[in-house]
Amino acid sequence: MTTPPALSRRRLLSAAGALSTAALLAGCAGTVRDSYAQPGGTVPDRYGRRTRVVLWSSFADIPGETLLALADAFNQGQRDIYVEVQFQGSYDDTFRKTVVGRLGGQVPDLVTLSDVTWGKFLIGGALQPWDELARASGLDLGVYNQHLLKEGLAKDGRNYWIPMARSTPLFYYNRTLFKKAGLPDRAPATWFEMRDWAKEFGKVRLGGNRPKMEAYYKQDGDWQFLGSCWQWGGSWSRGLDITLDSPEVAAAGAWQRRLIYRDRLSYMATDAGLDFGNQLTASVVNSTGALGKFATLAKGSGFRLGTGFVPRGHHFGVPTGGSGFCSFKGVPRERQQAAMEFIKFLARPENSAEWTVKTGYLPVVDAAVRTPKLASLMKADPNFTTSIQQLARTRNQDLARLLVPNANVKVYTGLQKIWSDDADPAKVFRQVADQLRKGMDRVRDSIEQHVRV
Amino acid sequence: MTGTTTAPPAVRRNRAARPVQYVLLVLVAVLAFGPVYWLISSALKPGQDIYRYPPEWIPTRLRWQNFADAWNAVPFGHFFVNSSVVAVAGTALELLFAVLCAYGFAFLAFPRKRLLFLVLLGAMMVPGNVTLLPNFLTIASLGWVNTWAGLIAPGLGSVFATFLLRQHFLTLPKEILEAARVDGAGHLRTLFTVVLPLSRPILVTVALVTIVTKWNDFIWPLIVTNSDSMRTLPIGLLYLNNVETSQNWGAILAGTVIVVLPILVVFLLAQRHIIAGLTQGATK
Amino acid sequence: MSTAPPPAVPVPAEPAAASRGPSGLRRRRRREYQLFLAFIAPNFVFLLLFAYWPVVYSAYLSLTRWDMVSPVKRFVGLDNYADLLTDPDFLGVLWTTLLFVVGVVAGSLIIGIATSLLLNQRLRARNAVRTAVFAPYVVTGAAVGTLWLFIFDPNYGLLKPLMGAVGLNAPAMMTDSHWALIGLIVVYLWKNTGFVAVIYLAGLQGLPRELYEAAELDGAGPWTRFRRLTLPLLSPVTFFVLVTMVIQTFQAFDIIAVMTGGGPANATSILSWFIYQQGFQTFDAGRAAGGAIIMFAVLLTITGLQARFLERRVHYR
Repeated sequence: MTTPPALSRRRLLSAAGALSTAALLAGCAGTVRDSYAQPGGTVPDRYGRRTRVVLWSSFADIPGETLLALADAFNQGQRDIYVEVQFQGSYDDTFRKTVVGRLGGQVPDLVTLSDVTWGKFLIGGALQPWDELARASGLDLGVYNQHLLKEGLAKDGRNYWIPMARSTPLFYYNRTLFKKAGLPDRAPATWFEMRDWAKEFGKVRLGGNRPKMEAYYKQDGDWQFLGSCWQWGGSWSRGLDITLDSPEVAAAGAWQRRLIYRDRLSYMATDAGLDFGNQLTASVVNSTGALGKFATLAKGSGFRLGTGFVPRGHHFGVPTGGSGFCSFKGVPRERQQAAMEFIKFLARPENSAEWTVKTGYLPVVDAAVRTPKLASLMKADPNFTTSIQQLARTRNQDLARLLVPNANVKVYTGLQKIWSDDADPAKVFRQVADQLRKGMDRVRDSIEQHVRV
Repeated sequence: MTGTTTAPPAVRRNRAARPVQYVLLVLVAVLAFGPVYWLISSALKPGQDIYRYPPEWIPTRLRWQNFADAWNAVPFGHFFVNSSVVAVAGTALELLFAVLCAYGFAFLAFPRKRLLFLVLLGAMMVPGNVTLLPNFLTIASLGWVNTWAGLIAPGLGSVFATFLLRQHFLTLPKEILEAARVDGAGHLRTLFTVVLPLSRPILVTVALVTIVTKWNDFIWPLIVTNSDSMRTLPIGLLYLNNVETSQNWGAILAGTVIVVLPILVVFLLAQRHIIAGLTQGATK
Repeated sequence: MSTAPPPAVPVPAEPAAASRGPSGLRRRRRREYQLFLAFIAPNFVFLLLFAYWPVVYSAYLSLTRWDMVSPVKRFVGLDNYADLLTDPDFLGVLWTTLLFVVGVVAGSLIIGIATSLLLNQRLRARNAVRTAVFAPYVVTGAAVGTLWLFIFDPNYGLLKPLMGAVGLNAPAMMTDSHWALIGLIVVYLWKNTGFVAVIYLAGLQGLPRELYEAAELDGAGPWTRFRRLTLPLLSPVTFFVLVTMVIQTFQAFDIIAVMTGGGPANATSILSWFIYQQGFQTFDAGRAAGGAIIMFAVLLTITGLQARFLERRVHYR
């Protein structure tokens, strides 16, 4: 028989043992799992016996409705698969929920990840390549716009990111206001021309308000700014070297700072698109994917919408962007194959065209342009041709934005300082460049392992 | 504390100061309660009246539809159920554990008991923000992300409640406990039939404070839930803020009222307990 | 845990005595020990797992680099701390935290004590006012944030007509980086003042009348009485409020999440927001854990210092 203290000690030790087991469990979180659970949801009775595919999407409003309608059509058109679209919020929200879900052992079968987030999973070795699945389902990846498809190609020669809601920035303008100010009915060719126009424009009044020429997005404005950097001859990075602290980038920032603080032609807006829709500004640079939304807003506010190429600076410079489909290792093969069937369905020219017609995103399948639906619309509404024509002149984004963790957030936080604090761009970007360099050093090895530089 | 002893006598003689004091009192009341009034009254107004300039101080036309709008914009029903489950079940369990633990420390013998008690108190020094990431990883490895278990578990250990209860238990007259012992009652029976009935006020206080804290909790539910069906009300409100832009303040404000109202009602009904519990420790 | 020799702290049940006693007594004692462990176990298990273990684990994570996606946590020694302490953004976060904490704590204390003095007067309806003043403290933070977002709304908010009435233009409180922190401090003052006031009120009501009568006879005016009597006598209360408020304010989160999300341009990014952002938005576990450990250290130091310096000045009766 043990004496009491010894016994209590034993008890305590065994309790401590149990706890450290739990603690060890915690220590294991985040290591690779063999399989992941599927997020819950609700399956309508009539689809109860099918293979269920959970798709996490970032699309609300018009794109969201269009995707739902396409999924509906897919579900009704065959008898084996049920695709359930689960809206997860913005691109960043979707990314965060996917990371967090994965730590908890749960991933969707299919997810739309943006340009700046999918690479993080790629270099973390988390993604499932699509090539073999595509072959098995009889989808020829050659149907995609090769320029867009190639952006999802990794160093191992496989495709991890299938084009879905791909976009470029466009110059949107309020034709009614432009006319009122006596300006030509077109996008300015250069930013310098636009600034000259602003003198005329200064006289326009609308309901007691004096509309501004343009506004910058408080969040995610770094995408448009990447284009500005190129237009002024700069870049965020060359290869894996950070070049954000170059005089060219500072000049691009200084231009916007001057427009805000000296010329009073622009400002930082929480939602620059909404302000444009409410005619608080005469123009805005935003994704092609916003075309559908702006058309609706314009109708609501009673103005005519115009689009054009993004104006030049010293050069022409427009990036691609948007999101594509990814799937994860550890999702059962059966569901990956089922997910592939849905991708194949979306890759039919008429479906790709439907997506483009409704939303304004680029037609990711080349043949979509030749479908009657899209062809006739392009003839009737020139706004739909702008992005397609501009696509040929786009450029792949600098690697720093795509692969350095949170490079986009760091740059737009820097931009906020310029736009709302009148901070010196050279100083701001020197600071951000330092952070990007540190970030790049952390991921350089993984990038070199997974990405063609 | 009775009214006669409260004011230092000098002030009482200073009648000239009275009107000034009343003006200040009204000012304080308006500053404190004005925003809440503005919230509730605006939540009842139709859009044009919300955006009216100069503002409409007393709503003339009521629009209850705002509440329906909020309720339909995001699944408030789920939020309500989740908040209630988390607050009630969480409080019940936390209280149970605290009562047991406090009883042990108050009445049961154990070597180095005081040292253990210090270990318990030390947990109070750990700020919640420090535990976020590890706790999330623990819950994730248990497979409890986005479940009630995940929402509730990390809040079940309590220092404050245990401390208060133990202090109270120690003030109970020893004779009563001994009488129970003589009657052959075991410790569990003594706890539930003798000690707890004698501790009702402190139990109510601790329970109310715990339930209010859990109802209001924000950062943990934000992290550990990822679907509408598991969100609690505060997170639902954040979500409503994002879904409805500032174009629709009516619905957002109505949603805010939905979140605030239960807590305000509980506070008004039991303010004595809640205030006592929250300010405990100030006066030893 | 304990492989140590018998307890040095005298407790009612001396194990040594037990082992000498008759076996029945020994058995009963052993049963009591077991019972004690059973009684405290649930609470202790949860505290160890969710309060103590996280500190250890955070400390470990802070020495690693991990993006929460890849399977490897790479050990990097003190790199994260070196990075943080040379990162102008993080130093900015520390500075913002300092401004925020000082603003909120000092403000709540001053306004709270003034309010308590008023509520201590024998005025009609003062109990109702006390309730109204305390209410914001229990109102859900997320709701408080939403409510004040509405009040601060540059187009439709109450602030506009109120400032307009005195001929001022309302600033875009939450999107202007010069105003956002001030706006937040105002909101937290609104939420906290009642708490501080009610605690001081309880303190005031416990003060001995005789001292005041004597002071008055000595010809001390109200201000002198406040400074020479009330404040010193209330110093234990001040000590408590100070410690509580500092700890609370350091951990402020919900209202910030709803109102500013740390922005604009990091103007309202305080340490607690930074930890969340690094851990759950940008997934830099090492930096998040480093920030958490730094916060832990700062709070321990502040509490220790407060205890030390105020101890000497606190007036104990």
